[in-house]
Amino acid sequence: MMKILVVEDDRELNRAVCSYLLQNNYEAVGVLGVNEAYDAMYGKFFDLIISDIMMSGIDGFEFAQTVRGINQEIPILFMTARDDLASKQRGYRAGIDDYMVKPIDLDELVLRIGALLRRAKIASSKKLEVGDFTMNAEENTAYLKGEEVSLTAREFNLLYKLLSYPKKAFTRTQLMDEFWDIDSSAGSRAVDVYMTKLREKLTDCEDFEIVTVRGLGYKAVLK
Amino acid sequence: MKERKKIRHSLFSVWGYLIFFLTISFLVTCSFLVFILTLEIELGEEIRRSAILTFINVMALSLICAVIDGLRRKYTVERPVKRILDATRKLTDGDFSVRIEHLKAESRNEFDMIISNFNKMAEEFSGIETLRTDFIANISHELKTPLSVIQNYATILQAPELTEEKRLEHAKTIANASRKLSELITNILKLNKLENQQIFPNTKEYDLSEQLRECLLTFESTWETNSIDIKTDIDDVTVCADEELLSLVWNNLFSNAFKFTGGGGIVSVSLKEVGDFSVIKVTDSGIGIPPEIGNRIFEKFYQGDNSHATEGNGLGLSLVKRVVTIIGGEISVESGVGHGSTFIVKLRRSE
Repeated sequence: MMKILVVEDDRELNRAVCSYLLQNNYEAVGVLGVNEAYDAMYGKFFDLIISDIMMSGIDGFEFAQTVRGINQEIPILFMTARDDLASKQRGYRAGIDDYMVKPIDLDELVLRIGALLRRAKIASSKKLEVGDFTMNAEENTAYLKGEEVSLTAREFNLLYKLLSYPKKAFTRTQLMDEFWDIDSSAGSRAVDVYMTKLREKLTDCEDFEIVTVRGLGYKAVLK
Repeated sequence: MKERKKIRHSLFSVWGYLIFFLTISFLVTCSFLVFILTLEIELGEEIRRSAILTFINVMALSLICAVIDGLRRKYTVERPVKRILDATRKLTDGDFSVRIEHLKAESRNEFDMIISNFNKMAEEFSGIETLRTDFIANISHELKTPLSVIQNYATILQAPELTEEKRLEHAKTIANASRKLSELITNILKLNKLENQQIFPNTKEYDLSEQLRECLLTFESTWETNSIDIKTDIDDVTVCADEELLSLVWNNLFSNAFKFTGGGGIVSVSLKEVGDFSVIKVTDSGIGIPPEIGNRIFEKFYQGDNSHATEGNGLGLSLVKRVVTIIGGEISVESGVGHGSTFIVKLRRSE
């Protein structure tokens, strides 16, 4: 069972989040302040942290920074009433992984936690598995049903990005971050070319497909 | 009265004038002495006789100087200071309608600057004040409706004999009402900020086409669940504007378009460069807006159709309009009942 630490100074909200997480088969520990959070983390290992920003004493930014200083891997999700860009930027700079604005939708919270944990696992193991298809980021190799699929570095990076965030659609420009050396108009056409090649190479794959999203971009859909 | 007592050393006291008078007398006497000494006449009987005359001379000259200076001070310093002082007193007493008249239309000295700054400040204050009163009148209904829904269904839920099905239904109603309430509050806060504070847009050049694509993609689940067809015709266009502010515009326009387009409808987005403008069109195939309503949809709490009043909160388009105005663009709407609506935003192209 995945363990989640919930740092939130509002008792009711804290209880609601924790009990909803429990219903969704996560083990949730709720604490009301950062100092208590440090105490809880001292004796126990957590897979993910959900934290408020505005709390008395130490605030969420400082907390996130401290945790990041000790642990590079653990996903941190901010759950806060502040929806200005400055707070978001400050949060991401402090090393958080996701940001939700209160009042939060609990279903969405659970979905995001799922995605965060999945990504954390991919990031720490450097491996990605979708049914019979596996990718190894350390060796830049991909295998389908045990056989190696030869991918160029760029094809590999594109596919890895798409599969790390299944069902999330990316615009060509977002995908193009992998091709930082190409200017934008050439780059977005290049993405189309790479996608065509990837589809050709993966015709035998039955576990996922690359879907074009109405002239906007691409996404990977797991079957 | 209390404030009056606080002024211990007034700039315009008799004491001040007296000191000025004495100083001038001293200076005039000195110049007389210097003058007489340079004449090198003997200090005889003659001079003694004219001493009284000289003294009167000194007094008269000093008095004239003092009066001229007094008048000058009265008109150039005391008058504006009095006005400013009175106005600040009124403002601190809570009268935000107070404004100070300018002394002269053409001249612009430091006092005029203080006065115009003061007026600006007072305007800011009264802006906040009007919002507070209008806001309370307008908003209480919008806030209380979902709140009473939540309250009532929470009471109903406490009944022990409720079937599981009913319980679920009521819980969903509560969840919906609170979602609506939270959207409303978010919009109120945003609009409040945009309307009542001077906004300094953080303008820089960025890729508008990419912003539109990314923003549209966040609605992917909406169009998939309602099987709405998407048409895009987005050219590569960069603009010089505040990216964060404009994202509010697209978010609201898209969410409206999807809200009013039923299942199987079409939402299309286009971005073109036309002359000096970048033109963004967001079209839906929804119910449309009757011509008599037209541009009133940009007013606060105005909703096209009462039967759809539950859908939005009547603030989204005011927000859009406000942002477009701040950025210096234009927004218009073309629509016909049953034919859907097209919202057109024009932004001046970056040079």
